[in-house]
Amino acid sequence: MIEINHLYKSYGQQVVLDDINLSIQKGVITGLLGPNGAGKTTLVSILIGIIGRDKGEIFIDGLDLDNHLSQIQTICSIVPQNLAIYPMLSAYENLEYFGGLQGLKGQKLKSRIDYCTEVASLQSFLTKRVHKFSGGMKRRLNLAIGLLNTPRMLYLDEPTVGVDTQSRNYILEMIKNINRKEGTTIIYTSHYLEEIEQVSDMIAIIDEGRLILNEPKEEILKQDFKVSIRVGELNDALLDRFKRIKPVRVQDDCILLTKDENFHDNLIEILTVLKSHAVEVVDFDSRDKSLETLFLNLTRKSLRDE
Amino acid sequence: MTKILYILKKEFLVMGRDVHSLLVLFIMPVAFILIMSLAMRDLFDTHGANQIKILVVNQDKSDPSIAFIKTLVNLKTFSFHHMADGTGIDLIRHKMFQEDYKFALVVEKGFSLAADRNASNTAERQMILLVKPSVNRQTYTILKNTFAASLAKARVANLIKGQEEMLDYAGIDIEKVMQPSDDLIETRYVSKSKLKFKVPTSVQQSVPAWLVFSMFFVVIPISNTFIAERNYGTLLRLQSMNISTGLLLAGKLLPFFIVNLIQVVLMILVGIYVVPLAGGDELTMGDSYGGLLLITTAVSFCSISFALLVASVAKTTEHATTIGGVFNIILGALGGIMVPKFVMPDFMQTLSVLSPMSWGLDGFLDIFLRNGNILDVMKESLLLFLIGLVMLSTTAIIIKRKLSL
Repeated sequence: MIEINHLYKSYGQQVVLDDINLSIQKGVITGLLGPNGAGKTTLVSILIGIIGRDKGEIFIDGLDLDNHLSQIQTICSIVPQNLAIYPMLSAYENLEYFGGLQGLKGQKLKSRIDYCTEVASLQSFLTKRVHKFSGGMKRRLNLAIGLLNTPRMLYLDEPTVGVDTQSRNYILEMIKNINRKEGTTIIYTSHYLEEIEQVSDMIAIIDEGRLILNEPKEEILKQDFKVSIRVGELNDALLDRFKRIKPVRVQDDCILLTKDENFHDNLIEILTVLKSHAVEVVDFDSRDKSLETLFLNLTRKSLRDE
Repeated sequence: MTKILYILKKEFLVMGRDVHSLLVLFIMPVAFILIMSLAMRDLFDTHGANQIKILVVNQDKSDPSIAFIKTLVNLKTFSFHHMADGTGIDLIRHKMFQEDYKFALVVEKGFSLAADRNASNTAERQMILLVKPSVNRQTYTILKNTFAASLAKARVANLIKGQEEMLDYAGIDIEKVMQPSDDLIETRYVSKSKLKFKVPTSVQQSVPAWLVFSMFFVVIPISNTFIAERNYGTLLRLQSMNISTGLLLAGKLLPFFIVNLIQVVLMILVGIYVVPLAGGDELTMGDSYGGLLLITTAVSFCSISFALLVASVAKTTEHATTIGGVFNIILGALGGIMVPKFVMPDFMQTLSVLSPMSWGLDGFLDIFLRNGNILDVMKESLLLFLIGLVMLSTTAIIIKRKLSL
């Protein structure tokens, strides 16, 4: 179990994490979603003890991060966003090196290497040097190294960046299997919504250092926002009018209509009212992308590169 | 302890598969030692091992001119090759360039008259010395002075000819007067330790010089792997595995210290066995293996610390290679690696103390050339350890700061 209370982190004047409170249950996969620069990598880096924090308490498996860092680092593992492997070494040599540095040796090291390569489907490529691997194979090896110490907590930082669809699906299945078979608690950071939706039990959204959502995936997906109408400006009278329509949520300049038995009538009513009051319809989206709609509405922006 | 073995294994595997690093660390210094030992052989040749080739043409053919040339031939510093009497200047010049003669001496007609004891006008030209423009000033001056001395001697011999009885009567020993002046000067080489001495040769200078230079070139493999580890996130992964900065640095110091030891052994073997095969002198070592190990360890510590500092400051491997390479060349030039310090002007010799390579080179020369011992290399070693420690501490601070960002 991971418990984060009032976590703050800033670099100079720039606040990176702003009063983060998060509780993650044992054996749960939490998808940490956020735009680039939202603070996802900083959060997992703090959890593994790579970087410090300004304020806040962190408990992992009941252990205080400040006083039990070494112990925590033996039960946790991070798979960095970069390929933290040696291209000039073979897959086996990489696994042996990182396993050895984690205190594994002899038969125990060998059996962990065997297990991790099997999970990552790299058995046939153990003696091949990594620089000859495809992008997907490198990602799988990067992940396999993270499993060497049999972690109870696994932090995956954008583990599928730059891989093809087949490899991505394999990696996502691999992560679900690890969680199912070993009961590993996983934090999975990504800005790929479909990945988060595919692997996560819990979804947390972080933006500009603030945690703006932390709910079970099922609850979020139940809110099946079928239609999203972005409008120019709504006065209070119109807001009240729309709020009286039961499956409608209004967030800022966006009217979200959930599909139910009255969906057709409700949609016509909304559009009629907008027309009669000469409210400009800026955008209309009827695709079935509930999580993305929620994400965009919560963060009020699309994915950014900054 | 087990962890450091895994680090050692990894470093040697990575290095062993990096052809460029192997070339820089082992092939480059071997090539430099061979080339420079042979190229600088003349510069160090103070004991007549190498002779200057000179063409001689005697246009005079008189007894005095023959005696004069005979005097020159007896000088071991020069190797005289005769051309047919009467050969013209054009032919001589052609032969000089064809067969790489730097000098040609033409004894002109009338030499015997000028050398005659009764000659009243000695201002007339007696010899022509043809010199290639590439000849250095020192060699030219030495040769000209030698000819002048030999000419003077020939004239003295001519003057006393027929005066033997009178000189004998005056108690003057003609043989002693005519004794070669070289015999009157005894040369003694001195060494620091007052024990044995070795005549300096180009190989005695080249091996330690290029050895120190190559030891500092660990900057290339160290910065390559270190920057890759930092940029690819490997260092962060290691940090998340509770690997301390101390162990990370030790993981570079130890393997590259072993690499430096291998370099020392290899370069010494090249000096002893390979350079003589190529026509150079054989490297002779001093007696102090303890001193050799101490100065090797000190140079190694300093060079690895320098490499780690460059690696920690540089952003990319290209950046590190440029910084490291340029610094090494400047330190080498300043420290007497490329040009021996003793041929530098005084102010440059004073400046050379700024280069750690100079301290390392002095230490190795103390062992190889001056038969020094541990105490003799202590000062240089302490300086190298001190500057190495400063650089390593700075590196540790930079790495900690960068990793925590």
